[in-house]
Amino acid sequence: MVLRWKHVLLAFLAAVILGFGFAWSGLMSVGARSGHWAVTDWFLHWVMRNSIRTAALQTEPPPFDNPEMLKLAAGHYEQGCAFCHGSPAEERSAVSRNMLPEPPDLKEKIPEWTKAELFHIVQDGVRFTGMPAWPAPHREDEVWSMVAFLEQVPQMSVEDYRSLAGLVATGGSNAVLDCQSCHAPERLNGKSLIPSLAGQSETYLRESLFAYADGRRLSGVMQTAVTGLSKEQLASLARDYASMQRGSVANHDADPRGADIDKGRELAEKGRAADRIPACLTCHERADGNPSYPELSGQSVPYLTNQLRLFRQAHRGGTAFGHLMLPVANNLTDADIENVSAYFASKQE
Amino acid sequence: MNVERLAGAANRSRKVIYHFCPFSLAICLLVLSSCSGVQSALDPAGREADAVATLFWVMVAGGGLIWLCVMGAFLFAGRFKTQPLTERRAGGIIVFGGVAFPVVVLAGLIAYAGWLMPAMRPWFAGEGEGLRRIEITAEQYWWRVRYLDDKGQVLRESANEVFMPVDERVLFVLKAKDVIHSFWIPSLGGKMDAIPGRVNNLQLEATKTGSYRGVCAEFCGTAHALMAFTVEVLEKQAFEDWLRPKASSTPVSAAQTPDAGGLDAFLKNGCGACHAIDGTQAQGAIGPNLTGFGTRPTVAAGTLPNTTGHLIRFIKTPDLIKPGVNMPSYNMLLQAEVEAISLYLKGLK
Repeated sequence: MVLRWKHVLLAFLAAVILGFGFAWSGLMSVGARSGHWAVTDWFLHWVMRNSIRTAALQTEPPPFDNPEMLKLAAGHYEQGCAFCHGSPAEERSAVSRNMLPEPPDLKEKIPEWTKAELFHIVQDGVRFTGMPAWPAPHREDEVWSMVAFLEQVPQMSVEDYRSLAGLVATGGSNAVLDCQSCHAPERLNGKSLIPSLAGQSETYLRESLFAYADGRRLSGVMQTAVTGLSKEQLASLARDYASMQRGSVANHDADPRGADIDKGRELAEKGRAADRIPACLTCHERADGNPSYPELSGQSVPYLTNQLRLFRQAHRGGTAFGHLMLPVANNLTDADIENVSAYFASKQE
Repeated sequence: MNVERLAGAANRSRKVIYHFCPFSLAICLLVLSSCSGVQSALDPAGREADAVATLFWVMVAGGGLIWLCVMGAFLFAGRFKTQPLTERRAGGIIVFGGVAFPVVVLAGLIAYAGWLMPAMRPWFAGEGEGLRRIEITAEQYWWRVRYLDDKGQVLRESANEVFMPVDERVLFVLKAKDVIHSFWIPSLGGKMDAIPGRVNNLQLEATKTGSYRGVCAEFCGTAHALMAFTVEVLEKQAFEDWLRPKASSTPVSAAQTPDAGGLDAFLKNGCGACHAIDGTQAQGAIGPNLTGFGTRPTVAAGTLPNTTGHLIRFIKTPDLIKPGVNMPSYNMLLQAEVEAISLYLKGLK
């Protein structure tokens, strides 16, 4: 018998039908207990490594020059990652060790990846595993902070981890996260990526928390942090922070990063009409101003520049008034952003 | 039979004519009706527009006459002249009608147009000196209007409305902020481009008092068709009166304005970041100056009649009225605030 194209086609059809038949029969187990065949396991990991290596080719990591990046990431790691991957302070849970694939203990795995590869794993997640994508798209700044933190994990002591994440021991040995873990005034300084909330306008805080909860302001860290809190709880948190004494975090160590504070003051007071930049102070920090407009004095330079850049990229949502900043930020140069941030960081109320 | 068929055809065409006669009459009237009004080059109210209109009518009459002659010759050749012309006579007609006549007519027209020129555009750059100057800056999608004194100081700033004295040659100094626009008041004269980075001069002299309309005559973006302005030609004394009270710096204090609550809402929400109202804290120079806004005939640069209803709509959803407008939407303000601001603006004299 001669093998013809017809036979090949028939064989192919038969294979497809048999395959579907097997899948339909339910004889294929999808249970996680038995694990993959060694060859399947090798193949899936091989595909993943290739994919991430390729994705990372064009990615240039920013300089990890701000130690405060670790604080931004540590609390979120404790809340979102430690359950599966373990942390310097805690083993992986029994639940996570029975997942398929089993989430690795990161202490051992981190050194196997480059910064850019870690960025893509955290940013985009890994399909067919439990690894989710970062909750907020376009928040590369947060993801890079997480990468900076991850690189430190293998050699991090329990005490360092607890202190970075702001884990507060309550009573026994249990340590819990709350808003103060990150936002406590004494934890903030001139390089913080975390904003100072004490004494901020209550309306602004409340509307911003609602915006995080409704997905109108994007942040992997904050959207995770407000998950599960009711509107009443959020409003009450806003009230609590608004009633605290406003302390300018940056007074003692404002770090203008070489920016020109006088130029920043001029921009804040007069704007630059030629470039369609209004004066910041016509809306912000008016005694009789709209309480939806935040106070900017005493926020750190890294936080302010980061928010202005997000506005400029049109990736910063916020309150119902947030869109007013988009055209303004769009007209700011990099130097404007540095100067005006330095001005507000150094401004006394 | 032939005759019958011809008669039938004539009947039919007569019916068609009867049928369409009222319709075409209506169309003619409609077309003619656009020959007058606030924005018509055929209803001139300025010296340059006068010259243009005269030139137009001379050309229409001359062109009509030539057309009638050509049609007459055509009819003559087709119906009455059965014998062919001699070659000599045919040549003569071609040389006279096809060469000599057009040369004479076109040369005459060029000479006539050239003779009109000085009345329309100055031949020498120096001619604009000593004239009253009004600086017009075209921006997407509105007109900044500044009345200058001899030294170039701003006497009064307004937007989307031009006041002119009658029987006085005025020098319009044309600038553009973003893209190329074109300044055109059809009733007063021809158009002139406003080009970013350049200053163009246009002289206009109004000969009749009254209200006219000007437009942007160069496609400048999505709301190009909604970039118009009003022109008020006043008696000389009335114009001086209009120009001076504000120029002698007697600002209307906030307390004197009809609705102080409106001003509070205006300032509180930061409208003053872009808009200026003389005599108040609002000193923004990015958007239109709103001093005396209540007396302006239109909202949104000639787009809608100036009523509080239209103002409310524009403040809440400017982009729905003027696509691509630079003003952000203020839909998030309380309805009471928008109403108060609109009433306040409408009350500004």
